[in-house]
Amino acid sequence: MSAPVSETATEALQEPETPVEPPRGRGGGRTPWWANQRIGLLILVVALSALFGILRPAFFNQQLVVFPLLRDIAMFTVVGLAQMSVLSIGHMNLAVGRMAAFSMMITGISYDLWHFNLYSGLLVGLVAGTAVGALAGWVIARTGVNSFVVTLALDFLLLGLIPLVYTALTDNAAFVTKPPGMRELRNYSLGDVCIGNLCGSPAVPQLAMFAVIAMVVVGWIFSRTKLGRELLMTGTSVKAAELSGIPTARRVITAHAMSGCLAALAGFMLAVSTGSIKATIGEEFMLPSFLGPILGGTLLAGGFVSVWGTLLGTALTSVIRKGLDLLGVGLESLNIYLGLILLVALSTDRFRTVLSDRQGVRER
Amino acid sequence: MKRFALRFARTTEMTLLVICVVFFIGLVIASHGDLLEPNSLRVLLQFLAVPVLIGLAQMVVLAVGQLNLAVGAVGGFTACAMGVLMADHGVPVPLALLIGFLLASVAGLLNGLLVVLTRINGFIVTLATMTVLLGVQYRLVGTRTVDAYPQGLKSFGSHAVFGVLPLIFLVALVVAALLAVMLRRTVPGRRLLASGGNPIAARLSGISNDRSVIIAHTLSGAILGVAAILTVASSPGVNKSIGGDWLLPSFAAPIIGGALLTGGSAVVLGTVLAAFIVRFVDTARAEFSLEPSWVNFVVGTVVLGSVVLGQVRSRRQERRTVVKAPDAAVAGGVS
Repeated sequence: MSAPVSETATEALQEPETPVEPPRGRGGGRTPWWANQRIGLLILVVALSALFGILRPAFFNQQLVVFPLLRDIAMFTVVGLAQMSVLSIGHMNLAVGRMAAFSMMITGISYDLWHFNLYSGLLVGLVAGTAVGALAGWVIARTGVNSFVVTLALDFLLLGLIPLVYTALTDNAAFVTKPPGMRELRNYSLGDVCIGNLCGSPAVPQLAMFAVIAMVVVGWIFSRTKLGRELLMTGTSVKAAELSGIPTARRVITAHAMSGCLAALAGFMLAVSTGSIKATIGEEFMLPSFLGPILGGTLLAGGFVSVWGTLLGTALTSVIRKGLDLLGVGLESLNIYLGLILLVALSTDRFRTVLSDRQGVRER
Repeated sequence: MKRFALRFARTTEMTLLVICVVFFIGLVIASHGDLLEPNSLRVLLQFLAVPVLIGLAQMVVLAVGQLNLAVGAVGGFTACAMGVLMADHGVPVPLALLIGFLLASVAGLLNGLLVVLTRINGFIVTLATMTVLLGVQYRLVGTRTVDAYPQGLKSFGSHAVFGVLPLIFLVALVVAALLAVMLRRTVPGRRLLASGGNPIAARLSGISNDRSVIIAHTLSGAILGVAAILTVASSPGVNKSIGGDWLLPSFAAPIIGGALLTGGSAVVLGTVLAAFIVRFVDTARAEFSLEPSWVNFVVGTVVLGSVVLGQVRSRRQERRTVVKAPDAAVAGGVS
């Protein structure tokens, strides 16, 4: 904190007490297994699913519960990955939902006015999302302004722009043209894919394949490629990354472009599963986008990401949401529990880290 | 005196003041003088009170280098709690307002305590408390609108001195003035800014950063309590949507007003002026009968523009190497 103006966006968001403490990775190898957040999450998800299943056998109803639940998990995992991409460099994307809405608007236009088919429309949307993400990244890299502010302002801007376009181009504030294949994509599960006599489970929606693809690609980028390592190094220390010859400004743009692209994909998944392309897409993305990665162990300060953790964190919140819903807990109370769970989960995580530090298992 | 005037001429506040005046004159011309009528002026100021306060509530946590995502939730929850207390349980008005104010302050205090005790990032803590309070607010009022509270409170909300200056606007100004005095002239205020400006230096000077964080969050809650009281007084009723649209304006006002997200800056006047500008944008929108979405679009552009400009200006200042930040004086010695 020697510079008066902070150089990384998160410095402003850190607790003033711990500015000198270097961000620590929570990789599996160095920590004891009980301090590994992801195993804890996995156990929690399984245990909670079993609990809800015992209390309400309907929880395992394939068509009515598991299918939509998996669809939600798939979508929010992609939302979480969108946030994770920018968290990797220690930035935030508050406009994640609005970027989804923006790219779906472009997709809707391509369906409605240009009569694109399902997948070329998706491609146009992804390009639009990438572009708007890159724009945010460019502004941040160019001006050095906090990513929080830039994406917040962008959120405002899109929040104003999107309804204007919708009212100008549509009658009912939604694009009604549905390209062929969209309804099938919404309803079909792996049960509709057969190799010979062997069919998949009817509980797994086909839409989930987008999440799998996204996870594989993002996971590959962060664990195997030079780009991913450079992103994480930028997140750990901008100055050190700069001195090591990493074009940090370009990496900032890359991370935000990735975030925009994934947000667009999540928007597409939401549009397919609700069956309509409208201005309100992505409104509820902000909280889940942070819940998944943070519960999964991704550091807010940058430098460490976890794709699996994001999936598990998202699964946990979705299972709780669905389970409480089935138990008859009203919608209003769901929020109370989700907020409390977030707090408790993070506090226990903190507690665990302190404990494992005290035992001296960690080298650093 | 002349030096002071010159220095003021270069500040963000001066720029904002000029923009405000130009904007206002433009609006008066565009409305053919209608805006100068007492009634239009009253309406203009009436809807300024709450935005000013929520901007200040955010500014005070930004000053210590934190942020508060729960502004809307704290305000909405408190407003609904007060409404329910008065309408359903027959609690007398002053007591209900006091309880509301205390509830909001306690919510702020809780935010601060959670940040300090768990060492979780303030962003996440307030995100969580926001979610919780939204749930509580919905549980309190459900889908109904609570409006059966005493007429006296509503007439306080719509009363205007000389028919131009609404009482609730004056309340907001008083809060702003108190906050400005507190941040600039009192020991806790100076400590708060020192913690925000440079936590290490502040700690070395014997200031408890934890206490500063807690004080800032509690103050934020208290200001939101006042904002909730004014909301209850000035709106026809309270429901679950109260506070839902507070978050973005709460950041817009301090950021346009020149607050640093890194902390250490106290820009009470800037925040108030920025709230004026946002209000003018809204008035202009109504004047030209455009869609409400335009306001968000314009405000987003303005926020982005002002941060970029602010960055350019501070870089230029750094190049000149004469940074005269009065608030950095406490922290400056060590860093």
